Amino acid sequence: MKKIILLSLAITTSILLHAQNGVPITSVKVSGIPARDAKSDIWNNAQVSVIPVMPQNVTNPQLLKASVANVKVKSINDGNKIAFLIEWTDSTRDATVDVDKFSDQVALQLPLNPDTVPNFMMGQKKGRVHIIHWKAVWQDDIEKGFQDVKTAHPNYWADIYYFQEKNADGTTTAAKDATVDQFKSKEAKNYMAGAYAGNPMSIFDRKEPVEETLAEGYGTLTTQEKQDATAWGVWENNTWKVIIVRSLVSTDPLDAPLVKNTQICFAVWNGTFKNVGAKKHYSMWNDLIIAK
Amino acid sequence: MAQVKNWHLNREMKYPYADNRPKKQIAYIFDTNKCIACQTCTVACKTTWTSGKGQEYMFWNNVETKPYGSYPTQWDVNLLKQLDGQEWDKTTGTYKGKTIFEAAEKGENVKGWHPTDRDYAYPNLGEDECSGNVNKGAFFSGIHDVWMFYLARICNHCTYPGCVAACPRKAIYKRPEDGIVLIDESRCRGYKECVKACPYKKTFFNEVTRISEKCIGCYPLIEKGEQPRCVQTCIGKIRMQGFLSKPEEARADNPIDQIVHIKKVALPLYPQYGTEPNVYYIPPVHVPKEFLHQLFGPGVDKAIETYKNIKNDKDLLGAFLLFGNTPKITHSYKTDGEFTMGFDEKGEVTTKVPLTEPVFVRPFKNETTGANHHNIP
Ligand code: SF4
Ligand code: SF4
Repeated sequence: MKKIILLSLAITTSILLHAQNGVPITSVKVSGIPARDAKSDIWNNAQVSVIPVMPQNVTNPQLLKASVANVKVKSINDGNKIAFLIEWTDSTRDATVDVDKFSDQVALQLPLNPDTVPNFMMGQKKGRVHIIHWKAVWQDDIEKGFQDVKTAHPNYWADIYYFQEKNADGTTTAAKDATVDQFKSKEAKNYMAGAYAGNPMSIFDRKEPVEETLAEGYGTLTTQEKQDATAWGVWENNTWKVIIVRSLVSTDPLDAPLVKNTQICFAVWNGTFKNVGAKKHYSMWNDLIIAK
Repeated sequence: MAQVKNWHLNREMKYPYADNRPKKQIAYIFDTNKCIACQTCTVACKTTWTSGKGQEYMFWNNVETKPYGSYPTQWDVNLLKQLDGQEWDKTTGTYKGKTIFEAAEKGENVKGWHPTDRDYAYPNLGEDECSGNVNKGAFFSGIHDVWMFYLARICNHCTYPGCVAACPRKAIYKRPEDGIVLIDESRCRGYKECVKACPYKKTFFNEVTRISEKCIGCYPLIEKGEQPRCVQTCIGKIRMQGFLSKPEEARADNPIDQIVHIKKVALPLYPQYGTEPNVYYIPPVHVPKEFLHQLFGPGVDKAIETYKNIKNDKDLLGAFLLFGNTPKITHSYKTDGEFTMGFDEKGEVTTKVPLTEPVFVRPFKNETTGANHHNIP
């Protein structure tokens, strides 16, 4: 009996939430965006919206158990750029690249057409969404230098790599110490199939720990040609604080328009629990009110 | 989930995609009785495809010593443990247990396990170790007390690949022209679902490019009508690559069909997984049957019996003698009692091998040079 009441309560709440379009987020107008400073006082101007997230249990592979309950979101804009500070509790910092390691990540999603908001889970055919996706592994690539095999396995050994380029002074670095930037030629890239194919996962000199993508349903995530979002994440006191910044008015027709109020969703991955791809926490659509 | 026909299991099974067999299916036969674990195949593959950064630990081809060898560590045991009750109906050859697709947990398409970096750290684990200690005073009396054999492994270019079933991005595909299973290197996003799902652990995560890679069946060679590197370089001539017909379309003059479908002397590895793998093995003749039944299914006894009788079966012998005797893919062959001849797709001769090697007797004394030839067989 208790279960039934709880269940119906849950259903009513979700219907109510839906009617209100989730938890509204108001982006307050400020002057100057602290794009890499989550501790800046400027963020105090914005209200926190606590957005519940749930494990993805709609399509396989699913996440059966949640390890994150919600994301706390603040938004500010300076009339030119809009920024989101996304915060969530995570007792482990997962940013290691290895065969059995998974990265902490967060993404926000905006509809390309705010009038006909598509499926909250990556949109649908004719209902595209714009996704801006930050990863902890990329953050480390930028902060600490590209994570090579040696980063996770300091004692690894390699005798030789084909087509490794010589250093400027004519010397050759020992294979085990060779870095990715010594493999620029087409021949060398042939042994790095992802880089050869131009896969956006295989970028060795990433400038921002974030990627802008488009989707129109499950499994359709596609990297945008024009990458202009920026991001920065800090992990402190068992909490990730990630700032994602994009243009308020974008000239890129594949960026979701923010000229008027729209809606926004979030997704979070917890690397410790092997969250990756579809195994993620998601939120429903939430109203995004942009104060101008 | 669709219902598809898996002839290895003699029944239908659940699979995420509908039956869609390729026009041709790449297939290999490996004769475990002839492998000497020289690892030439492993090195040929390594130098050709996996010498780059991030590929250090990868062996698309590996040769392990059974019973203890495994790369990655316990790749087979870890999954077998999770698939309980792998029973076969011996009379009909029907698998009664669950496949990796049928045993999948809630929210997954495939039952799998995820190897750790350590699991890849010992590619020669158990190498040349036999099943137990040799007792003092033991001697060979026709049956070995202890045993071991070499198991050469590559991607099986499965008919129902576990890797394909698990990828949420549809970044892995099976080529309609030859059945080779490939990861689209521009589409993969490195989720590693395939690494977890492939029951043979033949997809690998590249730590530098951060996406997955796998055996590509040397498709540039296949497209030229040549056999893959691991086959061409095999010292023991244990391998043959060709194309396997659908069971109901088996052709007696296709050596692969002759060995797999008609004489049923080569068997799939762990058919109970349900992926319908396309590397077919001649089981080792001296290994306990219980072990072989688990590895190769219920056809083992018959296969070994047929194999042992090969000298009386000219058609089968003819097919076997094609192994390692041509770099070309043999599409058909003919045995005339003295020779076996292989032909390519156009019907041109690729190889001609005598069924019995001619014997030359060299005189003890070379009259021209005056030298005595002894100690030389
Ligand atoms: S052996 Fe593994 S990687 Fe190869 S096709 Fe089968 S499931 Fe895929
Ligand atoms: S090259 Fe042939 S004989 Fe040598 S290990 Fe490989 S399969 Fe065995």
